[in-house]
Amino acid sequence: MTREEAYERLNRVFREVFDDEEIILQDTTTADDIEDWDSFEHINLVVAVESEFSFKIPMGKVITMKNVGEMVDIILEMGK
Amino acid sequence: MIGITSGYFFLLLLWGGIIYYALPKKQWIISLVLSLLYYFFASTPWTFLCLLGASTIAFFSTKYIARSYNETHSKKDKGILFLALFLVIGLWLGFAGRDFWITPANAICTMFGREMPFQGSLWAVPMGMGYYTAQVMGYILDCYMGVAKPHNNFFKLLLFVCFFPQLTTGPISRSHQLESLYQPHQLSYDNITHGIQRLMWGLGKKMILADRAGIIVNTIWGNLSAYNGYYHWVALLLYPVQMYCDFSGCMDIVIGAARIFGIKLPENFKNPFFSRNIQEFWQRWHITLGNWAKDYVMYPLLKTPLMIRLSSRCKHKFGKRMGRFIPTALGSLMVWLSMGIWHGGIKHIVGVSIYYWFFLTLGDLLKPAFSKLTDFLKIDTKVFSWHLFQSLRTYLIYGFGAVFFRAGSIKEAVGFIGSLFTMFFNGEYNPWIWVDGSLNHLGLDYKDMTVMICAVLIVLIAESMNERMNKPVITWVAQQNLVFRWGLYILGFFALITFGLYGPDYNAAAFIYGGF
Repeated sequence: MTREEAYERLNRVFREVFDDEEIILQDTTTADDIEDWDSFEHINLVVAVESEFSFKIPMGKVITMKNVGEMVDIILEMGK
Repeated sequence: MIGITSGYFFLLLLWGGIIYYALPKKQWIISLVLSLLYYFFASTPWTFLCLLGASTIAFFSTKYIARSYNETHSKKDKGILFLALFLVIGLWLGFAGRDFWITPANAICTMFGREMPFQGSLWAVPMGMGYYTAQVMGYILDCYMGVAKPHNNFFKLLLFVCFFPQLTTGPISRSHQLESLYQPHQLSYDNITHGIQRLMWGLGKKMILADRAGIIVNTIWGNLSAYNGYYHWVALLLYPVQMYCDFSGCMDIVIGAARIFGIKLPENFKNPFFSRNIQEFWQRWHITLGNWAKDYVMYPLLKTPLMIRLSSRCKHKFGKRMGRFIPTALGSLMVWLSMGIWHGGIKHIVGVSIYYWFFLTLGDLLKPAFSKLTDFLKIDTKVFSWHLFQSLRTYLIYGFGAVFFRAGSIKEAVGFIGSLFTMFFNGEYNPWIWVDGSLNHLGLDYKDMTVMICAVLIVLIAESMNERMNKPVITWVAQQNLVFRWGLYILGFFALITFGLYGPDYNAAAFIYGGF
């Protein structure tokens, strides 16, 4: 899976979770950039990402990822 | 017993700081010696065994279970993890969390003919046990999850657990946040001045404001039947001010003291009374405890297969919004229960946990309805007056919950809250107390009352500047011209020694959050 493909699928997940068709993700996108991305929604997002990419994200990464770029890095690493 | 507002503490800071910077290669060892010295003098020496016990459990368990992110854990790893957490929690329950078991244990013993063998007052709660227990548990879990590397040197771990400014009342730090404990620090003008300013700001909040507010609050709570009617509203409205200035003042002292040693501790408050709702409030109040509960309780729980299945079923049955709401509300309840348990006792579980969880959940549930209502009523939600209304509403919700914190029992808290409303019908209605000088007979005279009100305004202005600039006002002051800057520092210093409540005739009140 290329980084672009990961982004495309991740964008879909974000739009679905946050009910916002205008979301366009970048490496630097953080919870501050998306209105409803709070600590509760973070875990819903993680579960949706796990379901989309069919793997489990380790809890250590769930609590330390800082932005979408890091999330994509994890997806590419776990998807190998 | 030496508290962090005592002269002994500042002597320790002064002499410790001199030795610390004189021997740069041994700084972490000096920090450890200072921490242990402080612990011995500020607490009862035998309680040191609890600190040592928790650190020993963390040291040996993490040696075994630490793995990198991607490595899977064996069943034995998980067993050791649960055993380590069980032992650390058991230690905490045995001493700091004894309220949970003393009453049932005594009841059982009474059934078998033994009269109340367990008396909580017989042994002291080890200083800072709630804080270092949470920190040790976080460290064990971080090592298990691959977020932190275990210490190879037991004494370095011991320093992480008992670093002396934060041992008293937190903040609850994570391993990666205290890596600078083991690095050398050069004597820096910035660290020393910033540390001293922060420390003085904290002392001012505590000794000029919180202790004065505490006198009024204690007078009213000390005789609720004599001070009835609107006096209860005075106590209700003033207690959050006391609580905030006491706890955040303590944090300022702790963070300032650590900064003198070149250590930056995580912040625990972010102008909470500017919050627009109770959810935001709790993201700004006792931040490190909230983050701890979120990362180690809520996330692992919501990621369990059971909760994922529950979420999926709720989505199918009730729609997407409720599918998100129900598991989130359950996860939130677990967070609040864990925080209530940490605070200790049933009173805190009801007051701190259930009460705030109810308002948080209700706010989340009714958010779309409120949004529609404000649209329908054409309320401009961007103007100052709306923000002020939201902040006052949040203040009141917090204040009512804090009654459970202040009251001796749930019954007393409920009675107090009831009296706030029944006074309008039962003859206790006494509005004249606001204007006839009665408030000057609650332990503070007119002059002290004026000092307290001025202090509230100064804290409010400073916090308002923090909020607007999105950076600490101390940083702003440090950027000003020399004359203005030093003028403020000197003024602050003299205000502290003139208006602070201290001296041989005065015992500084213990920090409210020092008992956990």
